[in-house]
Amino acid sequence: MAEAALPAASPPSQATRPVRLPLAGRRYTLGIRQHMPWPRQALILACALAAGFAISAAILIAAGVPANELLDEFVVQTFFDAQNLRAVLFQAAPMILVGLAASIAFRARFWNLGLEGQMVWGAIGATAMSMYQIGPESLRLPLMLVTAVACGMLWVLGPAWLKLRLGVNEIISTLMLNYVAANLLLHLVYGSWKDPKDNFPYSPQFRVFERLPDLFGGVGSALLIAALMALLAAALLSLSRAGLYLRFIDANARVAQAVGVPVRRMIYTAVLGSGALAGLAGFAVVAGQEGRLTQAFYQGYGFSGILIAFLARNNPLAATVVALLVAALFVTGRSLQVFYQVPFSMVQLIEAIIVVCVASSDFFIRHRLRRVGGSA
Amino acid sequence: MVIALNWLANTPDFAVPYALAALGLILSERAGVLSLGAEGLMLVGALAGIGAQLILNQPAVSLVVAMLAASLASLLFAVMAIWLRVNQAIAGLALVFFCQGLTSLVGTLAEWTNKPTPGIGTLPLWPLSALPGVGRLFEQNAMVWFTLPLFAAVTWFLSQTTIGLRLRAVGENPQAADAAGISVTGYRFAAVLAGSALVGLAGAYISVVSTKLWIAGMTGGRGWIAVGLVIFARWSPAKAFVGALLFGGIEALIPQLAAAGVRLPQYFVLMTPYVVTLAVMVWVALARRAGDTEPGALGEPYVREERR
Repeated sequence: MAEAALPAASPPSQATRPVRLPLAGRRYTLGIRQHMPWPRQALILACALAAGFAISAAILIAAGVPANELLDEFVVQTFFDAQNLRAVLFQAAPMILVGLAASIAFRARFWNLGLEGQMVWGAIGATAMSMYQIGPESLRLPLMLVTAVACGMLWVLGPAWLKLRLGVNEIISTLMLNYVAANLLLHLVYGSWKDPKDNFPYSPQFRVFERLPDLFGGVGSALLIAALMALLAAALLSLSRAGLYLRFIDANARVAQAVGVPVRRMIYTAVLGSGALAGLAGFAVVAGQEGRLTQAFYQGYGFSGILIAFLARNNPLAATVVALLVAALFVTGRSLQVFYQVPFSMVQLIEAIIVVCVASSDFFIRHRLRRVGGSA
Repeated sequence: MVIALNWLANTPDFAVPYALAALGLILSERAGVLSLGAEGLMLVGALAGIGAQLILNQPAVSLVVAMLAASLASLLFAVMAIWLRVNQAIAGLALVFFCQGLTSLVGTLAEWTNKPTPGIGTLPLWPLSALPGVGRLFEQNAMVWFTLPLFAAVTWFLSQTTIGLRLRAVGENPQAADAAGISVTGYRFAAVLAGSALVGLAGAYISVVSTKLWIAGMTGGRGWIAVGLVIFARWSPAKAFVGALLFGGIEALIPQLAAAGVRLPQYFVLMTPYVVTLAVMVWVALARRAGDTEPGALGEPYVREERR
């Protein structure tokens, strides 16, 4: 902070030319850096990502992927092969939705780690509409969507209320509800909702009008929904009064309360919106990808959503871009599983490594080393 | 009667992982470091324990290996949370997901999944185990008996020793502790590493002693339950012990009910530990009162340069 003030303390004869001490004799102390110009911030972020990729590459090579195939598998095959690119876009829709869900909750300083549970509930709600054939055929799909959104919201309402009313830690409550939802899903797909045709643990296949239709070139309409949601979220957060309020709350909830921001209502709105988007993601998977309720469709989305929001700094448009990259990682992970027998958990490990590297790099943006004593 | 006795006899086996994990978490949280990584560290302990067991077949050595492995893994968290001052919630979550991915990967590549190991035998506490009827309650494995003095030791350490006092000071008011010449960074590092060793031991207990095999993700949220348990216990080892018995009792009840012929939907029964955790959290929130024992600086990175 007071870098300029330091040399003044030394005698004038030495002030012009500080004595260089041997390395072992120098002492440093940490200082808080108030501001860093954005090109250097970007450089540090790039270094962190490069470090993350390097560690991931080393682990992949150790796990048996040939080193010279890495670039081919991750970049060339994924983005320049029409079929794989379609797979990435196919995978991207739920990914964007969970990324948005996490971003919005984190904006309100609410740790919604229950994205997977809310996805499960969204999927269960949508499937219930199909199972019990509720509503006319032409309205079935919109009805499934609305039910999924409502179910996702309801599943996060409990933790939101417990946090705001009683101060119950939402990290624990949302995670516990994930396990409850996962067991309920198993109860359904192994029980009364099991497909009578082949006795596998999944629900009967949805009818044609219950599935999200393909648009041009095999790209699902789920992606269109996700893109619309991203634009809507970006517009709301940057242009609306609610978005401004959320920025207040993110900066300092107590001051926001003091200047008259309806803090509770805004947090409820953001958290319920987060649950709604997660429910929608569940709908996008069952109606857009699987075409039925399966037992483990949600796995990996919870952490991916957190990762996306974290890397995108809770910005909806950045989240969309990051979600595309994470979707590409998922697709590549599946092909590595097929071609090199690398377990799919590799994807989660790579995600975690990147979070660790980027989170750690923040230290270098917010701190500086200052030399003290001797030389000054 | 037989069922009740069976249930009581099986409770310690289910309670030990909760007890050890909660004890480890109390140790690091009393130093002011919010340890959300328990679920991941338990998995590391469980996998390392089974790995050592499959290679060496020495249960005691395996458990020590598990503790060391969990400590090593927690180093990642400690560096992030204490040195680099990363938000402790983010660092903890990153650790959980890192460990989940890593253990599942290593378990698959090393082909340790679903390989049974012999485990450790029971150690009857002799004159008590010879009692008619209730004698069964005292035929537990060595780890159950080991847990009891461990709790006493940690309680004594935290409340009666100078080092324990300093550790609590670091968690309560790091500025004051720093001014008094206590190394905040050093104490926090040591507390995280030692606490993580206990959490790893809890994981190894599940794999090496209880189920005697490794399955990816086998801890099934017990680490998170332990985090909730510590809040329930208000960071007190004695209360955590009671809480662990409560959760162990609930988990032990499930197979007993099935054996007794009570027909309950399986997956709803499997939900109970999580629902109970939630209920317990709500109860704690309702019962919260003044003079709380929550460490004052829990979850806050200590930055000497930031004057408050």
